[in-house]
Amino acid sequence: MEDIGMEEDSAEISGSAQKQGVADAWETVTAALMSPGGLGPEQGLWDSLALLSGEGLGRLLGGWLLETLQMRLSSAVVPEFWAELKQPENELEERGRAWVLLTAFQTLLGRLEPFLGGLERLESWQDEGRGSVCGPGPGGLQERAFTIIRALLLFSPSPVLQERVLEFYSRTFSVYMHQEGQAEDGAEAPEGPEGGVCPGCGVPTQQCWCKEALAQLKELSHILSKLQLLEWVSCEAVTSILHKLIEQRMEQHCRGEYERSFLLEFQTWLELVLGWLSKVFASEAEKDGLVPAPGAPGAPGAPSVPSTPSLQAGQPGSSVLKQWRCHMHQFFCRIYVNMRIEELFSIIRDFPESKAAIEDLKFCLERTNQRQQLLTSLKSAFESRLLHPGVHTSDILTVYISAIKALRELDPSMVILQVACQPIRKYLRTREDTVRQIVAGLTGDAEGCTDLASELSRGDPVTLEMQDSDEEGADPEDWTPDPTDAVPDKMGSKRRSSDIISLLVSIYGSKDIFIDEYRAVLADRLLHQLNYNTAREIRNVELLKLRFGESHMHYCEVMLKDMADSRRINSNIREEESRLSEEEQPPLSLSSIILSSEFWPPLKEEKLELPPVVCQAMEAYTHRYEKLKAMRTLSWKPHLGSVTLDLELEDRTLTNLTVSPIHAAIILHFQDKSSWTLEELSVKLGAPKELLHRKLALWQQHGVLREEAGGRYYVVETGSSKEKMDRGVMLIDSDEERDSNTTTQSEQREEKLQLFWAYIQAMLTNLDSMTLDRIHSMLRMFVATGPVVTEMDINELEGFLQRKVREHQLLVSAGVYRLPKAN
Amino acid sequence: MKVKIRQWNAVASWLWVANDENCGICRMPFNGCCPDCKVPGDDCPLVWGQCSHCFHMHCILKWLNSQQVQQQCPMCRQEWKFKE
Repeated sequence: MEDIGMEEDSAEISGSAQKQGVADAWETVTAALMSPGGLGPEQGLWDSLALLSGEGLGRLLGGWLLETLQMRLSSAVVPEFWAELKQPENELEERGRAWVLLTAFQTLLGRLEPFLGGLERLESWQDEGRGSVCGPGPGGLQERAFTIIRALLLFSPSPVLQERVLEFYSRTFSVYMHQEGQAEDGAEAPEGPEGGVCPGCGVPTQQCWCKEALAQLKELSHILSKLQLLEWVSCEAVTSILHKLIEQRMEQHCRGEYERSFLLEFQTWLELVLGWLSKVFASEAEKDGLVPAPGAPGAPGAPSVPSTPSLQAGQPGSSVLKQWRCHMHQFFCRIYVNMRIEELFSIIRDFPESKAAIEDLKFCLERTNQRQQLLTSLKSAFESRLLHPGVHTSDILTVYISAIKALRELDPSMVILQVACQPIRKYLRTREDTVRQIVAGLTGDAEGCTDLASELSRGDPVTLEMQDSDEEGADPEDWTPDPTDAVPDKMGSKRRSSDIISLLVSIYGSKDIFIDEYRAVLADRLLHQLNYNTAREIRNVELLKLRFGESHMHYCEVMLKDMADSRRINSNIREEESRLSEEEQPPLSLSSIILSSEFWPPLKEEKLELPPVVCQAMEAYTHRYEKLKAMRTLSWKPHLGSVTLDLELEDRTLTNLTVSPIHAAIILHFQDKSSWTLEELSVKLGAPKELLHRKLALWQQHGVLREEAGGRYYVVETGSSKEKMDRGVMLIDSDEERDSNTTTQSEQREEKLQLFWAYIQAMLTNLDSMTLDRIHSMLRMFVATGPVVTEMDINELEGFLQRKVREHQLLVSAGVYRLPKAN
Repeated sequence: MKVKIRQWNAVASWLWVANDENCGICRMPFNGCCPDCKVPGDDCPLVWGQCSHCFHMHCILKWLNSQQVQQQCPMCRQEWKFKE
């Protein structure tokens, strides 16, 4: 061969005397190096080697050996390997394929073994310092040989290798996991039920080849490691198997399950997997000199050790296993975070129950860089699932509150909360009933939403005042910088509050709105009360005082004081009455809530003429009050309050009905005269007909009155026969009782607009005529006292002026407004 | 039909019987209280002078205390005398 020629050439150069000796020595050496198993006489080899290297031929030896290896590989070994691997073409079943895979590698090893043996001997000879056999160039001889093997073998790998390897590893994995699993926890591995199919290798039990598979695995690992191919051949397969398995397991176990932590469980499982890995990489590990006998790290009993959630804290394995442990941990975290991000909305919705999931997520999120992904996904989940007209405001609030709680747990810096919940806050601002819902929640009368009330009564409320102050945080040492994704705005981290109530209140940027709303709610509650019992309201006000500060709750305090004063005045007046003689006793027992009008929210003004009997009682009451409090008098709100009465009809009595004054007034009129038309009643009561019509419905529902043609109402003295008919007349608005006594926002606004009317009139008097724009800008300029003007847009003003025009208080022509001429 | 009223819970608001709405000194409503007070009514009463002007008691007292020479009604400059 060529090699021989080369050898002859060099021999010629070296001189003729030893030519024959060198040639012999070369023969000996090459033969010995190529002989399988190194059978040749050691001493002869050593001598020949010494001779050759003495002649300066040592270097060529290494080159020759590598060259031969390369030739052999490319001409025969590699094609043979691939042919063998592909040979049976899909005809075999899995077990066969595994066998073929193994044999192919076995053959490969067999073919290459002579070379490897030779290399080893050369190397050892060289190591003994008897001369150099390495050609020029970096790296040891063996290393270079392996590089050549790898290069030639895997230069154009067929996908079939990957497939086979993957399949084989998957199988051995399931076999291993099955065996270990049985030892670990029998419940985990699905036993028996498949009916005679071995869960490990997936074939009927009698054909089970679990043992065989494991043995094959061991051998394959051994071969691969010997050829230093392990990393190249198996890593990809192992990685994808691990990925797939972790994902699968997570799908099965964790999805939708938020109430339990999976970290430990997975850690145990991963340790088990590591056992399999240690089998795959067994030889590698052994080479590192560190213990792990196959299966040792994952052996039953061992994995239960680590109690910390850290997956890294395990037994010291070989470096390869350690690496894999890290990898798996990474896989796990990433996959887990991905899954939880998808589910975050549901997790938040179930929050206090899903705390475990949040904690897991927090742990994993810290190890993967996925905050941004989390934010985007959560935001869009909120937008698509929560922030649309189909969701009730109270539900949005409930989710928001859970989100605050959950994200507070997830990210103590509150950045996620702040960023992700921005859309919610923005959206809540557009809902009209947000404030009312929040206030209702605070006072504990919202259905279902008890969080706020309990939050309010929590021990250490951070007052809103405190947060507004610019005082620096307690300890500079405790300062931590904001995460990079924090929104750079004027809110410092210390003002990124985690307090639920302050977060809710700050939706609107001002607490005044809430306090006004609370005042309205409080007024309603107080006025609807039949007794003067205010214990609960006092408690609420005290709690709110801690939050909002004393000064803001001042009005509410006065309101509560009014209640207490009223009670006292009432009992005073009662006492006085009781001293009166029998005939002087007032015809009806009247008690009153006496308000300090300046401190109560504006109450609805409704006109209502009460029956004389009530008016007299009120007058008497006023007299007594005036006597009690000099220079003060009472202004009655006839439509407010409540009346308890009994109705005696011919055949039945209705007792203890509690109705509003207007209901009572109506029925009192029917006492005098048994039929009224709507008009007559309207005149008598001074109330609009539509209102009366609605109010009459209550009595119709009770079966006391009935309406007949021509809008006449009659008393139903004998009701039982009419029972059925009355059923038909269902109440038009049954929530009438709960009607709010305070004016609504829009009504208040109307009132404020009325305030402008004075200005407008004055301007028009002076300037004669003005356009809409002019009026608007003038108002902006001169009446810029409250927030009202700035809020009032030109359309609203136009609407207001139009109404004035309709009421003939204003004239408009060609877009110019003017006042009608006097007279 | 006979209606028997067991109990009528009415609502009223109290107000001072005064000839003006606001206190001439602090410009706050009489039915509210003077700037130094928190609670209206008994705790922040009105007083009338013989000139028939009236003020929050706390306001007029403060005013009178600040007058060195003569005690006058801040509205009409007549000598201030409490109405009996």
